[in-house]
Amino acid sequence: MEIGLAHYLVVAAVMFVAGLFTMITKRNAIGILIGVELILNSATVNLVAFDRYQGPGRLDGQMTALFVIVLAAAEAALAVGICINVYKNLATVDVDRANSLKG
Amino acid sequence: MRLLALVGGVLLLYSRSAWAAEGAGATTKAVSGGLLETALFYFVAFAAVVSSLGVCVSRDIVRMAVWLFGALGSVAVMYFLLAANFLGAIQLIVYAGGTLILLVFGVMLTSKSPWVKFECPKVEFLLSGVICAILLACLCIVLTEATWAGTPQTVPGASVAAIGKSLLTQYVVPFEIAGVLLMIVMVGAAHLARQED
Amino acid sequence: MWHRRLAGGPDRIDSMAQHSYEIALSVGVFSPMVSFWILVFFGPKFGKPAAGWFALVLGMGVPLACATYVLLGWLGAMDAGQSAALTANAWRGQWAMLGDVAITVGVKLDSLTVAMFFMVTFIAFWIFFFSIGYMSGHSDEVAGQRKYWRFFAYLSLFGFSMLGLVVSSSLLFLFIFWELVGLCSYLLIGFYFDQPVPQYAGMKAFITNRVGDFGFLIGLMLVYFYLGTVDLDEASSRFAQQAATGTGVFASHFTLFGWSLATIMGIGLFCGAMGKSAQFPLHVWLPDAMAGPTPVSALIHAATMVAAGVYLVARIFRLMTPDALMFISLIGCLTLTLMALIAVVQTDIKKCLAYSTLSQLGYMIFGMGCGAWIAALFHLITHAFFKSMLFLCSGQVIEGCHHEQDMRRMGGLWKKMPVTCATFLVGVLAIAGAGIPGTGIGLGGFFSKDEILAVSYARAFEWNSVDKIESGHHDQPDHAGVVPPRRVVLASDLVQHGDQGRGVHDGERSHGANNPAAQGKEHRGTHGETGLATIFSNTRELPKWMFYLALFIAYVTPFYMMRAWWMTFMGKPRDDHVHHHAHETPLMYIPLVVLAVGTIAAGYFLFRPLIADAAPAATAAAKVMAIDGEIHTEAIASAHHYLVYAVGPAFVVGFLIAIAIYAKGLGVGERLKRMPVLAPLHTLLEKKYFFDEIYDFVCVKGCLLVAAVAGFIDTWVVDLLVNLAASATERFAAFSGLIVDNEGVDGIVNGIAKSSRDFGNVVRLPQTGRIRNYILAATGVATVVFLCVLWASSVAREVAVAATSASLGR
Repeated sequence: MEIGLAHYLVVAAVMFVAGLFTMITKRNAIGILIGVELILNSATVNLVAFDRYQGPGRLDGQMTALFVIVLAAAEAALAVGICINVYKNLATVDVDRANSLKG
Repeated sequence: MRLLALVGGVLLLYSRSAWAAEGAGATTKAVSGGLLETALFYFVAFAAVVSSLGVCVSRDIVRMAVWLFGALGSVAVMYFLLAANFLGAIQLIVYAGGTLILLVFGVMLTSKSPWVKFECPKVEFLLSGVICAILLACLCIVLTEATWAGTPQTVPGASVAAIGKSLLTQYVVPFEIAGVLLMIVMVGAAHLARQED
Repeated sequence: MWHRRLAGGPDRIDSMAQHSYEIALSVGVFSPMVSFWILVFFGPKFGKPAAGWFALVLGMGVPLACATYVLLGWLGAMDAGQSAALTANAWRGQWAMLGDVAITVGVKLDSLTVAMFFMVTFIAFWIFFFSIGYMSGHSDEVAGQRKYWRFFAYLSLFGFSMLGLVVSSSLLFLFIFWELVGLCSYLLIGFYFDQPVPQYAGMKAFITNRVGDFGFLIGLMLVYFYLGTVDLDEASSRFAQQAATGTGVFASHFTLFGWSLATIMGIGLFCGAMGKSAQFPLHVWLPDAMAGPTPVSALIHAATMVAAGVYLVARIFRLMTPDALMFISLIGCLTLTLMALIAVVQTDIKKCLAYSTLSQLGYMIFGMGCGAWIAALFHLITHAFFKSMLFLCSGQVIEGCHHEQDMRRMGGLWKKMPVTCATFLVGVLAIAGAGIPGTGIGLGGFFSKDEILAVSYARAFEWNSVDKIESGHHDQPDHAGVVPPRRVVLASDLVQHGDQGRGVHDGERSHGANNPAAQGKEHRGTHGETGLATIFSNTRELPKWMFYLALFIAYVTPFYMMRAWWMTFMGKPRDDHVHHHAHETPLMYIPLVVLAVGTIAAGYFLFRPLIADAAPAATAAAKVMAIDGEIHTEAIASAHHYLVYAVGPAFVVGFLIAIAIYAKGLGVGERLKRMPVLAPLHTLLEKKYFFDEIYDFVCVKGCLLVAAVAGFIDTWVVDLLVNLAASATERFAAFSGLIVDNEGVDGIVNGIAKSSRDFGNVVRLPQTGRIRNYILAATGVATVVFLCVLWASSVAREVAVAATSASLGR
């Protein structure tokens, strides 16, 4: 059958929810980052899918997805740096241990 | 891994052939038909979903990274299926080959011992699973029921040249800002990861 | 004639003469007061006899002069028929207003006052005279206090009080002087205050008096409250009005022991007289009062103070209901009997005279109660004379025998003290009622006691017949000295004529001697005799045993008096030491002789007419009976004649028995004392019916018991309550402080803080600080919002679909 927009969107939704789940349940800081990557990926899939199916002859979706990828990479780099700092200060990357803001 | 590489290679070949056809000034034939495309989509979609779920459920961080790699690869193939060739390549190069490696580096630098695992409490697991499932259901309902504005594109019209051109004309500002941002990130990351004396 | 002239009214009277009597009486009242104050402040400066002479002159000489002046003037006024007008216009003033009641003060100027005033001043004068000599040997300085001048200061104060009491027209002022007299009695009895016996005797006198005064106050308060006035005349007229109309004190239904409120008023007022005149239950103080100096006994406890009680009864006679009068006669009868019997066994000469005084006072009160107003007062005056004389004689005897008071140690003193013996004998004859029956010759008691007995006989035996007889007579005011045969005033008679202002059918009171002004006298004010008669016509007859007792005691009195005289003066001396030293003091003859003369002579001729003159106004609307020695009614005449022969020889019988027993010394008496029936009787009498013991047990120990109970209550009830209150307050304070404050208020405050902290603790629970939880929360909320939007949109869609289909369907 014809692969439509909805198919891609559903896949992206699944990835999004999976990433969300990962962010919620993983205690390792890197695990949370991985979740973030998943979410970003699902977002870009969405963008590209929309670009393909809804935008005639335009590249907006792809360009945005490009920038997203760039920014995601930068952000991942920075986040890893933060994690390394956290590791240096707390001697662990367990985010549950990083609860100084606990009320 | 090997399977994925194999699939990836096949896709690459196919897309190149598609480009070649386009570069030859082929007509705007919808690249929509074909059992191959459908099967391929379902295969890739399945892979993506499985990889994502694998990321969720795996307990070991390195395994998560591996599943992430699978997810990223599937997404790259999806890009190719969506006729976003450049983006697919960029995905593979930057994401899979850069970011993922970075994450693995991060894992290596921050693990006390490879056998230490942090477990999430079962309650949270269940609760978040329920909520996420509900969210997923809602999203799926919406996404499948919605009627989107705009017209479906019949011809995939993305070429590298076009992308490059728009980068320097339409998207020059984001381009420059992205450059600046990257510089800031570099500085920041370097500062963050400095050695404490 | 004189009564027509009287009818002309009071403006005919010389007002200067009117007020001169009041002025004279007031001067007489106040000059002892002046003497008192001078002696109090300057007494030590007077020498030993000088203080006495000063008191004599200023304290009693001036009053005696005033009394003589008033007496002579009054006799003249009585002759001229102006006495009633003088009485009516006697000075009265208003002292103060107490609520609605005016407290009046004034001089009651009537014949009785004149007579009493003269009697008191005369006797007091001679007793002052006696005590000048007597006290010079009896006032040994003790700690510099038992001084001669103090005695005369007290005597002066007493003179003032007694004279004030006699002239007072207001019941309240009479009471004030009454209290003063009691005070003087206390001071004088306890004159030898360094010794315990006089101290206690003084206290006993005062306290017993006070008990009587308690009743007096109740009566006074009832008078004040129900009669609305304290003036004697005004009160009497209002009493009569209220009795007539059944209002006021007669309207109350309060009864006590069956006595109505009006009776209680009368009895209350009489209680004062019971205390002052030492009647039956309150008699215990008089024998002990003999611990005072002899002049004191003579003056106060024979002649004047104890007479004040009888005088009071005379003045309030118009406020008595028949029940009250019956009570009075009962008390009088009991007194005269019991006290005479005790006197039989007394061995102390002064105590014997004291009990004799008590018995004679009982006679007076008994007579008052029977209605023999004139007779009782007459007896009072004669008794005053001879009793004071007897006391002075006994003072002489004691003094002469070197303070020996026991008659068993005396005897045969007539040789050594002839004058005293003679005067004592005169007194004995007087008290015994010696006289020749059938003629008018006799000493005081012959007439007065006789009259009392006759009246009581008539009251006891002839009441109904007298009533019937008298109610049938009409008494017309007679002219020109024809004295109507009726002597009896009965209220029932008055009701026949219904005359208000001229209710003077008590038209007797004229005595052969010098009082023709008995009829047709105007009475002041409305006495309302008619109304009183209709109410009081149910007066009962006197119980016969009262008469028999009075008659019996008329035989006993001569017995014990003759016994005393014989034991003291006759026979062989029983104690040589006493006999050897006995002597008489010449200076002290004079009072004795004077008083003896007074006893013999003045009583009948001078005083009785005066009293009789005062009787109608003082006793109007009450039953008064008086018998004149000369003129009798048919019924009374027969009674009197019988009585004359029953009572007349009494003194002879008594004398003979006494002489028979004591002729040969005490032997017979001693043997009689030990006889089987008489021995316990003798003990009973000697112990004065154990009255002192009873009072000690009941009253003194009762008081102590009450005090102990009160102390117990104070400790265990009052203190308990106080302590409980204190501890309750303490507990409450603790509760309030520790519980309410700490836990309640602080609890609220802390609770608020705690609740806000708990709320904060609850609210901060989501702030786990874990980023994962935050993400989960955001996701959850987003999901919920998503669901809501979905649901809303589905609803909207259905609505739209329905609308579309509806529009399509049409």
